[in-house]
Amino acid sequence: MRIQYFGSAAALSLATFLSASGNGGGENPTRAAAAPAEALAGVVGIALAPENTILPDEAARLAKQASFGPTPELINAIVAKKSAAAWIDEQLTLSSSTYADLAAKPVPGNYCAPLTGADLTKCTFGNFTAIPMQMRFYANAIGKEDQLRQRVAFALSQIVVASEVDVHQTAGLAAFNQILLSNAFGNYRDVLKAVTLNPYMGDYLDMVDSNKSQPNENYARELMQLFSLGTVLLNPDGTPQTDSSGATIPAYGNSDVKEVARALTGWTYARLNGAALTDNNNRDWSRPMVEYPARFDTTSKAFLGKTVGANATQQANVDAVVDALFNHPNIGPFVCKRLIQQLIVANPTPAYVERVAAVFADNGAGVRGDMKAVVRAIYLDSEARVVSQNPGKVKEPVLMLTALARAIGYKTDGYAFTTRDYGLGQAPFRAPSVFNFYPYQFPLPQGDGLVSPTSKLMDTSMAVARHNVVYNWTISGDGDRSEFQVQPLIPDSVGTTLDWTSWEANGADDDKTLDRINLVLMNGVMTSSQRKALLAAMTPIKIANNPALQARRRAQTALYIVASSPLFQVDR
Amino acid sequence: MTVSRRELLRLTAGGSAIAALGQLGLSSALAADTSGYRAMVGIFLFGGNDAWNMVVPNDGRYAEYAKQRGSGIALAQSSLIPLTGTTFGLHGAMAPLKTAWEEGALSVVLNTGTLFAPLTKDLYTRRPDLRPLNLMSHEDQQNQWQGMRTRAVNNNGFMGRINDRAHAATLPPLISTAGSNLCLIGDRSSPLILPSSGALARNGYNATTTDPSVKARQTAFDVLADGSPYGAVTDLTGKGISSAYAQAAVANTAINSTSSVVDKYFVNPTTGAALNSEISRQLLRAARMIEARGTLGHAKQTFFVSQGGYDTHVSEQILQNTLYTDLATSLAGFYAAMKALGLQDNVTAFTMSDFGRVFKGNSNGGTDHAWGSNHLIIGGALASGKVHGRYPDIAFGGPEDSASDGRWIPSIATEEYVGAIAQWYGVSATDLPYVFPNWANWNGGGRGPVPLFG
Repeated sequence: MRIQYFGSAAALSLATFLSASGNGGGENPTRAAAAPAEALAGVVGIALAPENTILPDEAARLAKQASFGPTPELINAIVAKKSAAAWIDEQLTLSSSTYADLAAKPVPGNYCAPLTGADLTKCTFGNFTAIPMQMRFYANAIGKEDQLRQRVAFALSQIVVASEVDVHQTAGLAAFNQILLSNAFGNYRDVLKAVTLNPYMGDYLDMVDSNKSQPNENYARELMQLFSLGTVLLNPDGTPQTDSSGATIPAYGNSDVKEVARALTGWTYARLNGAALTDNNNRDWSRPMVEYPARFDTTSKAFLGKTVGANATQQANVDAVVDALFNHPNIGPFVCKRLIQQLIVANPTPAYVERVAAVFADNGAGVRGDMKAVVRAIYLDSEARVVSQNPGKVKEPVLMLTALARAIGYKTDGYAFTTRDYGLGQAPFRAPSVFNFYPYQFPLPQGDGLVSPTSKLMDTSMAVARHNVVYNWTISGDGDRSEFQVQPLIPDSVGTTLDWTSWEANGADDDKTLDRINLVLMNGVMTSSQRKALLAAMTPIKIANNPALQARRRAQTALYIVASSPLFQVDR
Repeated sequence: MTVSRRELLRLTAGGSAIAALGQLGLSSALAADTSGYRAMVGIFLFGGNDAWNMVVPNDGRYAEYAKQRGSGIALAQSSLIPLTGTTFGLHGAMAPLKTAWEEGALSVVLNTGTLFAPLTKDLYTRRPDLRPLNLMSHEDQQNQWQGMRTRAVNNNGFMGRINDRAHAATLPPLISTAGSNLCLIGDRSSPLILPSSGALARNGYNATTTDPSVKARQTAFDVLADGSPYGAVTDLTGKGISSAYAQAAVANTAINSTSSVVDKYFVNPTTGAALNSEISRQLLRAARMIEARGTLGHAKQTFFVSQGGYDTHVSEQILQNTLYTDLATSLAGFYAAMKALGLQDNVTAFTMSDFGRVFKGNSNGGTDHAWGSNHLIIGGALASGKVHGRYPDIAFGGPEDSASDGRWIPSIATEEYVGAIAQWYGVSATDLPYVFPNWANWNGGGRGPVPLFG
């Protein structure tokens, strides 16, 4: 039995039915064995799965949301767990990805200076660029099992942004991103605190070496605007509060920015090898910032309705700032809505946001900011598991690349992806600004008020660029492509291998190839006329005396057509 | 190389070619009348340009400028490029624009920014309901500049709205080399987005192939291009993708032309080497599309280009040297290219930016977010030798300071500035309130468009 995916009107009536039945959130949506006919008016042919089963199409759809792309193995693993909740709970225990080894090697600024030629290039790549981190990111995304942790960390990195475009320090970038990876299933307060004292973020937003003589406001402002509260007061469902004239109400004012900036003065980089706190060649990017008391403003501060007394310690000042933001009612709806937009759907209903934000406020055991509980709430909500009122999330470039690679079957050191991602507008860890690769309010063009943040990266020239990458990795996607080879100048390069053999094993059974593509790339929605057109494109490909190559070329053709279509470019 | 009508139709055969032709403003009469040609080129300086160091008083007021900004930020008076006939000078790195000034093709507007209503300091303090929302926030101020609404949600922008209305009349196409930005989104229309460099062709696609397997592949491609059963996000994305492919085919003819006259003007003035910065490439691409306007049948064109890096919280003096050198060299090249095409009076380029920056420097040799700022306009149609507007009273906490360290309340609204350019461009009186939703606040009572064009 299958769940059909409907156009929006029918989907809305289904969602309305579910929420009216009290199935709007929390654990598995209760499966009714037989639904009342009048509630399902207009919704034809639906039959829900029996309790304690998850069907392959549903598993594929969950995999799109909770991993870097479905694979047959992952889909089978989810089906074997018998429910979304059970698989999510298993993922919540996993922690195989790490950047800690990259973070453990901070070097002085002039570390590569004695070298020349290829040695200099390798040294620079390895210590002063994003490349080792980007390779690790992609290698983990393609090959490591803690997919959900990595997805949540990737989402956090697009809310709490620190970009290598401005700070060229590999170990520092690694230490920063390890915070997000380690705390993806921890507590959001710990994220805020660790990020505030992290030197890479300190450098990126100028909190490091901020001096009481003229405190730097950059981090104070963006901490409030982007990492916690947003600019306007929010209702618990994420919609903006309005005053009697209908205008929005600021969440903080300029004086709050100035006061927080004063509270965060007096921090500097830790140093390597006992170097002086003024030695800028020997910054230790692997350890939190340390105090530089002469630059710290010891007078009292008042922000967001809280005060910090004169002569409170620097740590107490940082804690007061973090607590004021963490306990502000805005933070749950603000952060949760962005997480939902990153993980599930571009236009969540306010009710969905409210359900998740309520879990942020209290996980059920009196704990605020519990990321495990928030992640469960996001994924197990009916709006995520069944169908959304306004379905659809355009795949951002990184997720498009990984989904395609995982669907085909890649083993990789990640390098090949770094040759493609920036041309599509999204190179991991290199957002153009602290506002990420795309704004959360970006309108869906001609979309009548709907937003579609990632559509910022789907314009005329990007649509052509995406097409060309898909073409290169399918029709032209054999293992001898230059980006898949070992790269002599790249540290730890072992290349990328593609597994076309499992596709070749289908032989002349084109339907079997299309079944796999239908499940893995389209979560089961392929129509008969689409299948017919795909078969018509596959059958003219005939390679005499080489049935394996013929099967491969046919698979590559079908993959090309499906992967470049909106049915793959948009997750539903 | 001009492209015949037959060739253009061949290139765009299949799919949404007709929609693409409409997108690019092509009417059925391809040999369009381009004698009333106008182009506006909006240059968004992302990050908040500290233009209080771009345009500097060069008379007795210089001393107070230097004292208020502090030694970490203030420019040496001897480094300024005098705007002859005025009491102002430009940042030294803007020397390449001296020619444009001498030829009457460069103007300045002072202390311009986002406003909901005309403001005095008293009104600003007493009436928060009259202020733009979320001042000093990059994203909000960028959206307010581009969307021209300061106290309401912006889901489209002024260039997109110009394009919406123009479709009914003279079909001006709207082109960006800076990616997709709010400014370009219309209620009914979408812009053409070009990469700043490189061609825009689909690998492996051949509209006129006779190979049966390629044909079948391309047919299947079209079958799977339909996202309409799956909700607005999938449907509109699918339509956008299809129209992008068709537009790309047409745009490539202009991009790939080998007989362009404009390229040679985009060079370093000292070394003669070709410019290769992002803004220079974007302006070169815009110049190419202007050059191809006859072939494309464009009676008018609107462009959005950008330069980033202006959020100078630290090391501002070093950063501004690089940024302004890049901007001025690229703009000078663009102006020279327009002269070569005989179009200097038909094309007007103008800067925009999130906001200006705090007059008093911070402890990192940089400046933080502020409000009113100065802007440059380039084009032969401008009234010569003009610095428009009023240099503010730069006393901290004084009558024009919204704070205590120099965040000036603008005396010219973005609508008065950009609206003047839109009027020159040809937006009709009836369309101006649609393009600028707050237009009514800026006409009458002593307010109105800046007299940029004399």
